[in-house]
Amino acid sequence: MDRIIRFAGVTKRYETEDRVVAIDSVDLEISRGERVAIMGPSGSGKSTLLNLISGLDEPTSGTVFFEDRALSEMNDNELTLMRRKKIGLIFQTFNLLPTLTATENVSLPLRLDGMRRRTANARAVELLTRVGLNERLTHRPDELSGGERQRIAIARSLVFNPPVLLADEPTGNLDSHTGADIIELLDKLHDEFQTTVVLVTHNSSAAEHCERRFTMLDGKIVSSNE
Amino acid sequence: MNSGLKLVTLRQWSRHKLRLSLTVLGIALGVAVFFAVRTTNRTLVDSLNSTIEKLAGKATLQIAAGDEGFPVDVLKTVRATHGVELAEPVTETIANTVEPANEKLLILGLDVGSDLKLYSDLFEEGDMAIKNPLAFTSRADSIAVTRKFADRFSLKDGDTLRLQTLTGEKTFTVRGVFRSEGSGEIFDGNVAVMDIAAAQSAFGKTGKLDRIDVMNSADVPTDELAAGLRSQLPAGIKVVRPNLRGQALENAVSSMHFGLTIMSFLALTICIFIIFNSFSISLNQRWKEIGILRAIGVDRGGIMRMFLTEAVVLGVIGSLLGIAGGVGLARVAIIVVSRVTATFYGAITSGKAFSIDYVFALEAVGIGIATSILAAWLPARAASHLRPVLALTNIETRQKEYGLNKIRIIIGVGFVIAGLLLVRYSRAGIGMNIQMFYFVFVQFGMILLLPMFIRLGSKVLRPVLGKLFGIEGIIAVETMAAAPRRTVSTVGALMIGLSFVIAHAGFIQSQKAALDHSLDKTLGADFVLSSSNQLNARTYHFSEATAERLAALPEATATDVISVSAVELGGEEISLMSHKMDAYFTMSPDLLDYGDPAPARAAAVHGEGALISNNLSFRANLKLGDRIRIDSPTGTLELPIVGMFDYFRSEKGTIFIDRELYKKYWNDSRVDYVFLNVKPGTDRGVFKQKIQDTIVGEQAFVYTHEEFKAWASRLIDQFFALTYLQMVIAILVAAIGLVNTMVISVSERRRELGIFRAIGGLRRQVAKMVMLEAVAIGLIGLFTGVITGLFSAYFLVNTAAKVVAGFTINLVFPYSITLMSIPLVLAVAALSAFFPAFNAARIRIAEAIGYE
Ligand SMILES: Nc1ncnc2c1ncn2[C@@H]1O[C@H](COP(=O)(O)OP(=O)(O)OP(=O)(O)O)[C@@H](O)[C@H]1O
Ligand SMILES: [Mg+2]
Repeated sequence: MDRIIRFAGVTKRYETEDRVVAIDSVDLEISRGERVAIMGPSGSGKSTLLNLISGLDEPTSGTVFFEDRALSEMNDNELTLMRRKKIGLIFQTFNLLPTLTATENVSLPLRLDGMRRRTANARAVELLTRVGLNERLTHRPDELSGGERQRIAIARSLVFNPPVLLADEPTGNLDSHTGADIIELLDKLHDEFQTTVVLVTHNSSAAEHCERRFTMLDGKIVSSNE
Repeated sequence: MNSGLKLVTLRQWSRHKLRLSLTVLGIALGVAVFFAVRTTNRTLVDSLNSTIEKLAGKATLQIAAGDEGFPVDVLKTVRATHGVELAEPVTETIANTVEPANEKLLILGLDVGSDLKLYSDLFEEGDMAIKNPLAFTSRADSIAVTRKFADRFSLKDGDTLRLQTLTGEKTFTVRGVFRSEGSGEIFDGNVAVMDIAAAQSAFGKTGKLDRIDVMNSADVPTDELAAGLRSQLPAGIKVVRPNLRGQALENAVSSMHFGLTIMSFLALTICIFIIFNSFSISLNQRWKEIGILRAIGVDRGGIMRMFLTEAVVLGVIGSLLGIAGGVGLARVAIIVVSRVTATFYGAITSGKAFSIDYVFALEAVGIGIATSILAAWLPARAASHLRPVLALTNIETRQKEYGLNKIRIIIGVGFVIAGLLLVRYSRAGIGMNIQMFYFVFVQFGMILLLPMFIRLGSKVLRPVLGKLFGIEGIIAVETMAAAPRRTVSTVGALMIGLSFVIAHAGFIQSQKAALDHSLDKTLGADFVLSSSNQLNARTYHFSEATAERLAALPEATATDVISVSAVELGGEEISLMSHKMDAYFTMSPDLLDYGDPAPARAAAVHGEGALISNNLSFRANLKLGDRIRIDSPTGTLELPIVGMFDYFRSEKGTIFIDRELYKKYWNDSRVDYVFLNVKPGTDRGVFKQKIQDTIVGEQAFVYTHEEFKAWASRLIDQFFALTYLQMVIAILVAAIGLVNTMVISVSERRRELGIFRAIGGLRRQVAKMVMLEAVAIGLIGLFTGVITGLFSAYFLVNTAAKVVAGFTINLVFPYSITLMSIPLVLAVAALSAFFPAFNAARIRIAEAIGYE
């Protein structure tokens, strides 16, 4: 199968007083279209792993490859453009810009890319409709519920139809019912676009939706369902 | 403050060092300006007084009659008056030196042959190193200088000194050196003593005295003696206590004080904005922390105290730094002020450096702290009223900042309109203290309207910046509009700073335009000769013979001969100009604003009427046909007012009389200006040279009509030299406010910027956004600043100029400064946003979007 993400002996250390090893010589391959769930206790390195994939963080040693290109060879602009177009990011705390409306939040990455406002907004409305928020187009984040905000975040992550979606506890701040809706939405989107999904979650029923499941502990992948 | 809260505060400080430094800097600037202004005012007054006192020596009374002096016979009358123990004649001349070059030397003509008891501190035995008093007095070229002056130019006994005198350059011989104390201390030691007879003849004062210093005998009280002397002497000769002469000078410089005081309040207002800004920002940075503190049991009072204690501590540190800075600022200001004082009021300040007044220092610290508390009050209150649940719920659920408030807008518009109407329609005589409130009304109203202006501004700027700069422009405008509190205080600081600049530029330009217009009407002459390049020509005068030689030139068609002096009218020093009225009217046919030209001319020429300036008419409530009484050294002159016109020489007012009348009453034939009209077709350059050749040996400044106007315009610039300094400070303070905001805007929005970067915003897009936000704030600040500036200029023109000097001038829109301020503001905005933008671009994304 076509490999999209590869970790080769990746270690991430934080040089704090007690020298935390957040990721400890991890080797990992993720194929295009695959769904991967990462579980593990708090502080085991899950978020760090996602940050390394998206280039928000750099490994202390080892190499991260995205579409067979080493991230360490890319400059900041290339990394940014990769994030903009190839990776959708979804966070536990939604991370929407509070001053922008739902449509504006979703169309922002397109407009950063130079797309005209009208076109970008039309595309944003299309995606918001797909996530079921066509009634909330001009609301600002603080006027919306947690579930609705996460849908906006998902819509935003999909504007470029990216091959990879990285979701860090997307249901962590939501009640179980809303959380289940969000997971269902991700399922639907995966079926539609064959997006690669890396899902960090504490919720094992959410993890059940993924073909591959890892557990992390102290920066190492300690078990998988393979 | 409780130690737990102290810990929290200290931790905050160590994390936000930049915000703290900028806040402290803001306070320091406000306090520095305040302290410097008070110190400068005080130093100026002290130094004027000490000059007078030192010149007076031990005298208890002084007899004087203004610049042109009085007849020497007065001395006899004084000495014969009962109760006079000692009476010493004095002449005072400020001479220009030729060798060493270009120094101004105050030359006291004293009766060196007497024992100079009144000046014994100056010439203490053994100190007045006149080896041979007889030789000193018997030789007319003898001069004694201060030790300081002698040292500065390495002069010894027997060395020579060249001075400009009435009859050309003359060489004097140093035959004595005296201590640089008492009189020797004033004027930075540039003081010399000559024998009075020699001084009189060298400086055209033969038969005249400038002053008599008097000491009363033990049995007659000073006041009684003063009364006795007054009854003996003509009204034009004044008998005063030396310290009252200082009072008169203080009065003369009052308009300058007024300007300085406005400046110090301006600085404090901007200071309030900066502190308010800083604390609002601190509140924004800490709202979550405060929510948690409230949730774990800190009460409202505790939060409030935490903020206010911080304000006090910052206030103390800022004020102390401010005083240090204020001392430096005062040094510069004093130099500028002394120069202005000497040029415009002919008053000499002693070069004595100021001493730090501890009361002022304490006051300044007090004001600094009070300002900090005042400015921190609202944010502190807001912090203490924060609802803990809000802070603890989701990160995006921010407490909504206040929106547009209709009532606020109505009140704001009300204040602005009320202020403007009051400026327009209230009586001028109501007094500056009350009129200041009109100005405050307008400013206050504009501040209330700021949120509205920001809302409007963002509506206008959003599409414009969007078109020009794309999405970064739009986000920049939105971020600005989304945080009205932060934006309001920055725009406010910019607005006040810029309005000050615009207002004063408008004021200065209006004055120049008025002066230009007035000079066109009142100075029709083709050529102007002046004995001085300063306004108050105390240094040097032409002789009448010179004027006659010029009048005799074949090209000259009309010659007006003018001397300038001063008279006292209603307790104020009014400028008195004597003209050859016939020539004056010929040269300036359009002279009068009020009065029938033909009869006015006839009356003036025959010495049967006086002309006055419009500002004197306004200030002294004089109308056409009123009779004014002018005290001269030989008696009182009473004349009807036959004409009035705009004339800006003196803030107190000007009277014009015919030269023959002046010569008769003042016994003074010295000449300060000569106006010449020449035959049509005369070559200006050639004739100018011809004038120079005719008056060879005299110190003279020859101007064509245009050159003279340019000179007068430069004089206005000099008068406002201090204002230009103030403008620079205003811009500086506003820039600090802007830097403060941008730094904080970035640190506050770290998370947002992190998200922006995470979803694909490039570094340069982030930097661009931050820069554009500053530009947007700058543009709104500029817009509101120009509006407020025009309102303030309207106030200055209608109120300040009118009340302080009685000048009626029309407001001129300061196009050039306004246009210049656009790139200036943009540059300041870009500059102050540069480092914040750079930092924003380098933000560590993973950390910035971390959960806390
Ligand atoms: N910026 C940082 N500096 C120092 N240590 C860090 C930093 N970021 C993370 N760590 C440490 O790295 C380790 C892994 O952190 P990470 O956020 O990846 O854990 P996680 O598995 O996502 O935990 P959670 O389920 O609580 O989100 C933790 O021990 C954490 O303390
Ligand atoms: Mg995590």
